[in-house]
Amino acid sequence: MKLRHLEILQWGGLFLGGAIFACAHVLGYGIVLAACNPANATFGIDHHVWEGALMASAAVVVLIAEAASVLVLYGTRDLAGGYEAEPPLSRIRYFAITAALANVLFLSIVLLELFGSLFNVACRQA
Amino acid sequence: MTAAAFPRRPSLPAAWWGMVMLICSETVLFACMIATYFYFRFRSPIWPQGGVSPPELISTLVPALCLATTSVPMQLAAFAARAGRLAWTRLYVVAALIVQCGYLGFEIRDYNNQQNAVDITHNAYTSIYFTLLGADHGHVVIGALFSFWLLWKLSKGLNRYRTNATLAIAWYWHFANLATLAVVGTLLSARV
Amino acid sequence: MAVATPPAVTPAGTERLDRLERMWESRPGILGWLTTTDHKRIGLLYFWATLVFFGAGGIEALMMRTQLAEPNNNLIGPATYDELFSMHGITMIFLFIIPMTTGAFGNYLLPLMIGARDMAFPRMNALSFWIFVSSGIFLYIALFIGVAPNAGWYNYVPLSGSQYDPGRNIDVYCLGIILNGISSTLTAAQFIVTIFKSRAPGMSLNRLPLFCYAMFAAAVGLLFALPSLTIDTIFLFLDRNIGTHFFQPAHGGSTLLWQTLFWFFGHPEVYILIVPAFGIATSIIPAFTQRKLVGFPLVAIAEVLVIVIGFGVFSHHMYATGLPTVGLIFFAAATAMVVIPSTIQVFSWLMSLITGTPRYRTPLLFIGGFIFMFVIGGLSGMMFVAIPLDQATTHTYFILAHFHYIIFGAAVFPIFGGMYYWFPKVTGKMYFERPGQISFWVLFVGTNLLFFPMHIVGLLGMPRRDYTYPSGLGWGAYNLAETIGGYITLVGILMLLGNLVVSYLRGEEAGPDPFHGGTLEWTIPSPPPDYNFAVIPKVRSAYPNWDGDAAETTRRLNQGVLVLEQGHEQVETTVADGFLSDVVTMPHSSPWPILLAFFLAMVVLFLTLGKFGVAGIMGILCLLALFGWHSQEPADE
Repeated sequence: MKLRHLEILQWGGLFLGGAIFACAHVLGYGIVLAACNPANATFGIDHHVWEGALMASAAVVVLIAEAASVLVLYGTRDLAGGYEAEPPLSRIRYFAITAALANVLFLSIVLLELFGSLFNVACRQA
Repeated sequence: MTAAAFPRRPSLPAAWWGMVMLICSETVLFACMIATYFYFRFRSPIWPQGGVSPPELISTLVPALCLATTSVPMQLAAFAARAGRLAWTRLYVVAALIVQCGYLGFEIRDYNNQQNAVDITHNAYTSIYFTLLGADHGHVVIGALFSFWLLWKLSKGLNRYRTNATLAIAWYWHFANLATLAVVGTLLSARV
Repeated sequence: MAVATPPAVTPAGTERLDRLERMWESRPGILGWLTTTDHKRIGLLYFWATLVFFGAGGIEALMMRTQLAEPNNNLIGPATYDELFSMHGITMIFLFIIPMTTGAFGNYLLPLMIGARDMAFPRMNALSFWIFVSSGIFLYIALFIGVAPNAGWYNYVPLSGSQYDPGRNIDVYCLGIILNGISSTLTAAQFIVTIFKSRAPGMSLNRLPLFCYAMFAAAVGLLFALPSLTIDTIFLFLDRNIGTHFFQPAHGGSTLLWQTLFWFFGHPEVYILIVPAFGIATSIIPAFTQRKLVGFPLVAIAEVLVIVIGFGVFSHHMYATGLPTVGLIFFAAATAMVVIPSTIQVFSWLMSLITGTPRYRTPLLFIGGFIFMFVIGGLSGMMFVAIPLDQATTHTYFILAHFHYIIFGAAVFPIFGGMYYWFPKVTGKMYFERPGQISFWVLFVGTNLLFFPMHIVGLLGMPRRDYTYPSGLGWGAYNLAETIGGYITLVGILMLLGNLVVSYLRGEEAGPDPFHGGTLEWTIPSPPPDYNFAVIPKVRSAYPNWDGDAAETTRRLNQGVLVLEQGHEQVETTVADGFLSDVVTMPHSSPWPILLAFFLAMVVLFLTLGKFGVAGIMGILCLLALFGWHSQEPADE
């Protein structure tokens, strides 16, 4: 794989998952606020539909980020010394390792939020 | 012989990164205020609260769009400074500053007029409206002060420090202009 | 096998060293300290200032513990007790742990670990310190004149609103916190830019020491969390002084808004408290096991993930406020997952201890104590993921037990360990080992006796923030045990500090590398010279002191390669891979930071007094000071 492709996949894998988790988390809570407060009389938001769509899309994007990290790991599998070799390839492999772990965590959170949103009664007080 | 033994790679200077840090911090500041605005909106059956009129479309949007265009001369100023073209750098900064000061003059008058009609202390809507708008104007004032300081520095010529300063201040204006558009968009959402 | 003799320093090399010393020499006397921009001096200033505030916070704690030693005690009345627990929380968080870990340890060690001669913005570094000190003085003058914050460090409305707290106490809180926040924000920006730009050539991001990853993570947390607190306190100040209605439901506002914005800051803040301490642990363990830390990249990302995911958990502090379950689910999900990066680190530390050859000297003992207490605190924290359990234990001493195990165990213990570990580097003297070990055990026993019974008494229903409690509820014995534990902890702290003082006065010469640590600070003399590195290092791994580059360094000194002795210079490198990109001139000592900090403190003072006109004049003086500051430009190459 070319260095330029590896760079793009590495940075994408590192930042895309976290960025989409942050957006989904904020927007998801925003949808709850909008749906479970007086203004929803005007908005008419269906909580389960909106949350389901948001979290499912976020999960897909995080999976894409994870795939990017795995591709980079595959593309640098023959690097002598691994992440301890000379940069930039060692740095690229290093960040692919870190992103592969991070994206698994982000995916877990998004999936938990998806199931929690779908399988709880909308707007019931805790 | 100092650094000659090692080849040097081009990289954005520390000054630019410092400005990016300021931009990150202020972006979160605005994000919290905008979140507060929508927090109040979602909790209110009627918006704006208390029968207050939503902001005027034209007089709110047009000045903001004019301000946003000043990102172009500011970025051109940064390019000109990097190319060592002092006269063009000064010209671009002055051109942007004229529009920015005109914007400020109009907005400060408008802010006072709006406060005369309905006070910041009227209800939660006016509290967040005038605070958010005031914060945005405050950041434009800071930007104008940056630009005046830059012009004063550029009156003494160009060097690496002043070139970096021009780049950093151009980026500050990109942030201030985007923040203004975000604030105006938020406030105008009351018309929806 | 014959060992190669290292090359001697030639006369040309010696002359370069002399020139470096003259170029970087600190100004003498008090004026030198007041105008310093040297990161090591600023780190020491932070160290002493934070120790003073630690003492103040500790006295507040002991006063509360003495009051609570027996039921129905009347040593301290309710109003004073309110100020005590508020100031204790504010002091320990804002005036001790954050400035000690970032300001003292971070400032002193970060440039040394990345091979730099100073921070990226040295004058701004000094400004951070002087603003921090001003904020502490401001808050404590308020305490002494009876207007200290008195609604808790979290300062919930409506109790902190003008109706129920009409005095100046909460205005002091708002403005003091904003002032302190400015200092931390500047520090955060400083750390990030320094880590990005000032590393030695060859130190790509995969070779950045884990301590620096921890400081980076904490800095990112501070940068993105503090504005939320700033806005929250501005809203409260406006409500109290101008008459706005952010927090008044009767006028369309919301009391929950305070908590939401506060905890958006507050939760990342508590991770910011412990992440630098993780960095201290990841420095001490490799040195005392003589092996690289197990799972280096995973630990690095774990440190960052604790902060990143930590931004998404904040409403777990609001489970008992009546929010809908579908809202709280988001925060329960993130809270469940945020444990995993911490667990990864715990496993890495334990595996490094097991697979290395551990030498249980004092610093490692403190790290052992830290791991023990962090796991206990983490387990109780895990329990709060479950909304029902959280609702049952909210506002009880169970919560206190959790966060004191975390804060004292996971932040303060590594700080103590770090004091011992880097004491030889900073002072050039070795600490006394046996008293060090005894001080650890006294502290370990004391803190566990102090905090463990809080779990039990909290489950028995004892509420927080109450100045006394009735007899006959079975709480008395536990509270007495906690108070005894508190005094034992005091003894331990005094032993530790006493050991360090006596070691400074009477300790043996330590040399540059007594523990054979892996990072760059152990490659230079103890204490470090003003210029840190005679030769800017060329880094080949994440543990450069184990790469055996001393001979090469001497050769480069003799040949004048990257010595940069012609000016007050250091290098800039590319962000990701550490390739050399520039040589920059650094500022020397300057009076502008302390002046600007003073004018800013005056703005805060006059705003608190309600004299907005005078505050405005002080603001103009701030602008003039900034103008003067930037009148000095670095010399072009």
